[in-house]
Amino acid sequence: MSKSKLQFTDDQFIDGLRNGNNEILSALYKKYYNIVLKFIVNNSGTEEAAQDIYQETVIVLYENAQKPQFSLNCQLQTYIYSVAKRLWLKQLKKNGKTFLFKEDDENELADVTGDVAEHSEKEKNLDKMNKSLLELGEPCATLIKDYYLSKLNMDEIAEKFGYTNADNAKNQKYKCLQRLKKYFFETHSIEQEK
Amino acid sequence: MRPIDLFDNYIKGTLSAEDKAGFENQLSNDEVFAKAFQEHKTLIASLAQHATRNELKKKLKAIHEKELGINSKVISMYREETFAKRHGRTLAVAASTAVIAVLSTVALLSTGGYFFKQQNNKITDLNRVVMELKASSDGIVEGITMSNKKVYAPANLEGSAFAINNKGYIITSFHMVNSADSIFVRNNTTERTLASLIFADARLDLAVLKIENSDVSKNWQIPFALKEKTTDIGEKVFTLGYPRKEVVYGEGSLSSLSGYSNDTSMYQISIPVNPGNSGGPLLDEYGNIIGVIRGKISGAEATGFAIKTNEILKSINAIDVDSTRKQLLGQSNKKSSLKSLKRSEQIKKINPYVFNVLVYKKD
Repeated sequence: MSKSKLQFTDDQFIDGLRNGNNEILSALYKKYYNIVLKFIVNNSGTEEAAQDIYQETVIVLYENAQKPQFSLNCQLQTYIYSVAKRLWLKQLKKNGKTFLFKEDDENELADVTGDVAEHSEKEKNLDKMNKSLLELGEPCATLIKDYYLSKLNMDEIAEKFGYTNADNAKNQKYKCLQRLKKYFFETHSIEQEK
Repeated sequence: MRPIDLFDNYIKGTLSAEDKAGFENQLSNDEVFAKAFQEHKTLIASLAQHATRNELKKKLKAIHEKELGINSKVISMYREETFAKRHGRTLAVAASTAVIAVLSTVALLSTGGYFFKQQNNKITDLNRVVMELKASSDGIVEGITMSNKKVYAPANLEGSAFAINNKGYIITSFHMVNSADSIFVRNNTTERTLASLIFADARLDLAVLKIENSDVSKNWQIPFALKEKTTDIGEKVFTLGYPRKEVVYGEGSLSSLSGYSNDTSMYQISIPVNPGNSGGPLLDEYGNIIGVIRGKISGAEATGFAIKTNEILKSINAIDVDSTRKQLLGQSNKKSSLKSLKRSEQIKKINPYVFNVLVYKKD
């Protein structure tokens, strides 16, 4: 394939996201940004807001594309526009500014309610984890990630964090995880229900 | 072994065959144990999701910076969308998009051969980016001369605004307030007071604010009216605004019925406008408001641009929500009461309804 001016079909885009192809992700990102930017700016949003909403939109698409059963039932452009519109409307609602929203019939809309709702749920969960990790603080947060995500063993962790031996490191990890669990399932779960 | 260690080892597959069988047995018989294991798995899965998501976010930010930079993205948008669709009519003018107008115009003109002649012209937003030094020295002076007055933190941006009705609604430029965390207005008769964004039209660079405290507008009797028709070239016009802490008067004439790059939603005026004038009123001799000061061409000191009031009324009339529209327009004056007064008397009457806007941004 030549590197310049690659044109991808919708299916190629989806496959690319599935396979974690960065070049395709980048091409997709560039291709649809202006549509979302225009929509947001025309609806009382700033460029900054447009960037945030667009990135969230791409995340919705990206994460959905990871599901084996996912298939587009409309054009990719329509999908992206529809998701962005829902996300922006949600944000305006949150700020009590729906009157700033202008309906337009220029663009076709797809039903993305399910996908966006699912995303919001996940978002809540991630937000909970984010707050919990922040509250957990360092070195605990890094230690937990090193063990569970980077799969370092206790000897490596002991060395990295300056514990005298693997057993000490293991104890630390245990304490850290207990705290994380408490924040995640108790502190921040209760907050969210308020 | 503590449950957590047991869970970890089970997931890792490092339990002996015997321990594994015992573990699975306990899972199916001990509900509390099973629930704890489930929680553990949820926690680790959420941890992993959180990390994956952060990676993806970082990646997208990097793509954005690399591929779309700060300005290039907007330029292409307006070149493709606005220019193609509206044939170079109005440009959106949110604060950060000021450069766009310029650059996309340059891009368009370049095809017509005007590139070199025009490329240094820029339409400049006239909000006043308050320099910390200056603002704090103001604070000190105020502190000395009026020791009983409160000294406030300097605003990030300052500009002008004016009332459109007696209900406390005021008009200013959208580029002033679009990323505001809080907005205050003040003038010589009104103490600094909080205002909130009610309506915005980024394309026209128009924002309507409402003063939160209704006591402020209790006795308002605005003397001017918003003119619905366009004004003719050559008419004498004037503006009042806050390029400084004190109101400043500027006069000139209406020099063109279109603004920057033939934008027909704006007038060109021969009033030297300065940073801080953004959002101020443009009035005709009779005390009718005919526009809102929008910006100037950088380099051309005595040329300013103002958004036409008929465009503003159109925009407000297009608001979807009836009640908001009624509130905004319901109280506006139909006739100016300033017609027969001499200029200095007009200004005295207008001044209480022209404001200095102070914008504090999100960090």
